[in-house]
Amino acid sequence: MNQWLLLGVNSITLGGLLFLLSAGFSLIFGLMRIPNLTHGSFFMLGAYIGVSFLGLGLGFWAAALLAAAAMAVIGGGIERLLLRRLAGQELAQVLVTLGLSFMIADLCLMIWGGDPISLDTPAGLSGAVPIASIVFPAYRLAIVVIAVVIAVALWLMLERTRLGAMIRAGVDDAPMARVVGIRVSRLFTLIFCLGAGIAGFAGVMGGPILSVYPGLDADMLPLALIIVILGGTGSLLGALLGSIVVGFLYNFGQVLFPEIAYIILFLPMLLILLFRPQGLFGRHAP
Amino acid sequence: MAPDALVLGEVDAYYGDSHVLQKVSLRLGEGRLLGLLGRNGAGKTTCMNVAVGLLPPRAGTVTLFGEAVTARPPETIARRGMALVPQGRHIFKSLSVRENLTVAARKPAVGGRHSWTLEAVFASFPRLAERQHHAASHLSGGEQQMLAIGRALMSNPRVLLMDEPSEGLAPQIVGEVMAMVRRLKQQGLSILLVEQNAKLVLDVADDIIILNNGRVAVADTVAGMEASGVDLHHHLGVF
Ligand SMILES: Nc1ncnc2c1ncn2[C@@H]1O[C@H](COP(=O)(O)OP(=O)(O)O)[C@@H](O)[C@H]1O
Ligand SMILES: [Mg+2]
Repeated sequence: MNQWLLLGVNSITLGGLLFLLSAGFSLIFGLMRIPNLTHGSFFMLGAYIGVSFLGLGLGFWAAALLAAAAMAVIGGGIERLLLRRLAGQELAQVLVTLGLSFMIADLCLMIWGGDPISLDTPAGLSGAVPIASIVFPAYRLAIVVIAVVIAVALWLMLERTRLGAMIRAGVDDAPMARVVGIRVSRLFTLIFCLGAGIAGFAGVMGGPILSVYPGLDADMLPLALIIVILGGTGSLLGALLGSIVVGFLYNFGQVLFPEIAYIILFLPMLLILLFRPQGLFGRHAP
Repeated sequence: MAPDALVLGEVDAYYGDSHVLQKVSLRLGEGRLLGLLGRNGAGKTTCMNVAVGLLPPRAGTVTLFGEAVTARPPETIARRGMALVPQGRHIFKSLSVRENLTVAARKPAVGGRHSWTLEAVFASFPRLAERQHHAASHLSGGEQQMLAIGRALMSNPRVLLMDEPSEGLAPQIVGEVMAMVRRLKQQGLSILLVEQNAKLVLDVADDIIILNNGRVAVADTVAGMEASGVDLHHHLGVF
């Protein structure tokens, strides 16, 4: 396959993974105003937990779903037991979530060791799929499809269901939402579970491409930050577009201008922060 | 005797260090309408905040149909049958008109009577039905007030608190709002109505409480007050 085409496919695939990472980050930040710096750790820990489930002999997708469930529980626990007590104190939340991310990194190193673990592409998806005149690697195509399905499902949930309306009401005016009888704090825990679960799922799904290694968390978190600032917090559409943009910047930057790849990655974020702080589709300025 | 719908018993409430309510007691009988009057800053809205659980009192009790709900979370108190039409309306701006109503929908608490549904609210406020798919933020002030009332009714409350529902509305809309208040009262709903405009309240209320500087200055029935010739002017200043 043509090198540019391959780079394009890789960019879109990475974009899909990044969307799954940043959708939760964006919702948690945009809706609950919590800058959750453990989000990269959710991705990595989910991947490692998936590794362990695979080691038990489970299939790839079963391992990914179970890892997502485990991360949902862990994420919900962190929200209930720690972040809940720090409501409104953003600096404390930054410090606590940053501290947690270091602890999770150490824990992973202890349990799963320091060697990168690469996951096998799930059975049946190791081939390639011809679409028009282009041949797509099947697994990468699957990632994109899953990302789009999850994006649509999240959007429908938020914009088209009563549950979603309750969440938006809680974001609009939390005291009034509670007076109306909406259990705002439960909904926020639910969002945290959801965000952590999807990030963990993405970690396992990224395994065959990125592999799982110490530092994966620190590689992913800045990307999520850039995406959310580009797209705007609390906006799923913003997270989706931001993910694709970052997917392209990352891949093309690495190949075309490897010396300044990080500049290429972070420069758009700086420009957005300076000139459009609410992001392209954001609800509030960060 | 049936318990009163809502009782505040010697409530002391603070915002930080400022002592806003001082031993405030009030009693809303079942099926009655209690008018709560007082100057700007007298503490009327604070009474509402204490009742719905937004501001836990430092001392005193809140009792809903004989059950203590003091300092319970607002969502719990809502589930026991209290609903608020807040001052300034506080509709959910990023929700549609219809969503503003559906997020509040609940089956009546035990003892609730009338059963409000989306259809019933739309029948009472046809303008809301016409604009149900619009963003609530695009409604006029009067429509937003209707929406705030409709939203409160969707929870099928046993006690309805209304905080200055006529504020900032054209006279004709005020008339519509007060007609709705009368109708709700006829349906047997227990209502606590806060107003700056004493005339509006005296027309519909059974009982009156006047707050002054966070204390109860007058507590009487409307009939008793008229008989004893309380000088409203003295307590309320402007009319
Ligand atoms: N959130 C608040 N923080 C501090 N003080 C407040 C707050 N809300 C009201 N107050 C003060 O409490 C007093 C009573 O206010 P409020 O209950 O709103 O009066 P009313 O509704 O009768 O006009 C006023 O002096 C007001 O300035
Ligand atoms: Mg007031």
